[in-house]
Amino acid sequence: MAADKNGCVARFENVGLRYGLGAEVLRDVSLELEQGSFNFLIGSSGAGKSSLLKLMYMALKPTRGMITLFGHEIATAHRKELIGLRRRVGVVFQEFRLLRHLSAFDNVALPLRVAGVKESEIREHVIELLTWVGLKDHLATRPPTLSGGQQQRVAIARAIISRPKLLLADEPTGNVDDRMALRLMHLFEEMNKLGATVVIATHNETLVNRLGHSCMRLDAGQLDFVETPVSGLSGGPANAGGFDAGWGRTDD
Amino acid sequence: MLIRRFDLPLDNDAVSRFLPWIIAFMVYLAILALAGTLVLGAMAARWDTGMRGSLTVQIPPAPATGAAGNGKAAKRDALKIKQALEILRASPAVARAEPIGERQVLALLEPWLGDMGNAKDLPLPHLIDVELKPGAPLDVALLSKNLAKAVPGAAVDDHKAWLKRLIRLVRTFTALATAVVILIGFATIGTVVFATRTGLAIHQEVIEVLHHIGAQDSYIAGQFANHAMTLGLKGGLFGLLMAVPTLLGISALADQLDDNLLPSIVIAPEHWAALAGMPIAAALIAMVTARYTVTRSLSKML
Repeated sequence: MAADKNGCVARFENVGLRYGLGAEVLRDVSLELEQGSFNFLIGSSGAGKSSLLKLMYMALKPTRGMITLFGHEIATAHRKELIGLRRRVGVVFQEFRLLRHLSAFDNVALPLRVAGVKESEIREHVIELLTWVGLKDHLATRPPTLSGGQQQRVAIARAIISRPKLLLADEPTGNVDDRMALRLMHLFEEMNKLGATVVIATHNETLVNRLGHSCMRLDAGQLDFVETPVSGLSGGPANAGGFDAGWGRTDD
Repeated sequence: MLIRRFDLPLDNDAVSRFLPWIIAFMVYLAILALAGTLVLGAMAARWDTGMRGSLTVQIPPAPATGAAGNGKAAKRDALKIKQALEILRASPAVARAEPIGERQVLALLEPWLGDMGNAKDLPLPHLIDVELKPGAPLDVALLSKNLAKAVPGAAVDDHKAWLKRLIRLVRTFTALATAVVILIGFATIGTVVFATRTGLAIHQEVIEVLHHIGAQDSYIAGQFANHAMTLGLKGGLFGLLMAVPTLLGISALADQLDDNLLPSIVIAPEHWAALAGMPIAAALIAMVTARYTVTRSLSKML
């Protein structure tokens, strides 16, 4: 099941989160992510964006409130159930979190391998995706010898290789220039067109305004919904196709 | 399922370097203790089965004075032996009863008393070696009574008293050696648990990533288990390689002892097979322990 009966992939109801005995970093957060929606999450550093994403990819459990993902309540879900749910979620971590001892190919192949996909199928898919993100010549290269932008693309490829239903990205444009940032956003729009619900945490409000998707703002742990102009450079996801040709020419 | 690919860089941490050495020493000690257990056990069994089916009857020599007296005494002794043999052979539990010749008796005493030539002056008892039918019931006390009645001074020795003490001693050593093997097993388990927990701490970040991309606990535990099995096998084989020359040396030293004082210490082919299984046992212990430790630790994570 990709969404609940109301078409929601994720539902937060009065969610609060605190680390240890500290103050609440998220307070009374309520939201619904519709299936196939594209959402930005903005806010200043320390506003709680990463914490909110961590709740979405089940790295944390809320200290109060209720979270429902794909129709399953997280607080009461069994560990094995959570593993099944995690396979539907693709995450681009802020610091990439690539496995340094594995090649770009093996990093991208990892989600398929843990899911038990046959090696012959894995090879075909991974090469296709790494070619798509312009890293065909770096299949055997390990992350420490890749540039920041290349590592970011490997991380994105790893997040989308298993066609997640929910794609989360934490500051995916943090380490790249504006041109690269826009290309990455087009990639996420492409995934969105393929049916993934996308949430991107960023502090780059210029980019958010240019692309014009729905937007949530976190301010001191509290969530507001922000209207954004529907304009942008690309004119929305419908015009996102064909951007991949640019990846091959982009080498940081 | 055997996972050959290691998504976790387990080969690179310090634990992977010291664990095979610790396992090697554990296996070395375990093999020595196990070899002791097996050899002592086999020795006790040999004594037990060899002695249980036999008796020895002792007839004291008749006193003799002078040359004529010697001849008379010999005749009286021959008569006593004949009477004793008749009683023994009449018993349904006895398969065979044969007198032991003087030369054989002297040969039995040689390790303690040295070469005594004819030893005519030594009042040696006359011995009858009795072989019992396997499983046939025998009342040793009744037989002794009947023999003593017919042949005054005749005594039956069923070896039970000293054999029991000897076997009890050997079995105590065997139990101690077995306890040592078990303790070594526990120490190995403890070491693997510690090494695995250290590995979990070192690779926590990678494990978190694997979890977030949907890896099951069994997938991660399998990686640790296979790695521990490889290290256990490496260490175990090295321990076996160290133990073989030690055992051969002990065996060679034991062979130099007098055969009559101690039965030969033999490591039978089946014993070698059991000892060769120790590295496999170490590898399996390491694998199962690592899997259990990881699964248990991961179950506490979100």
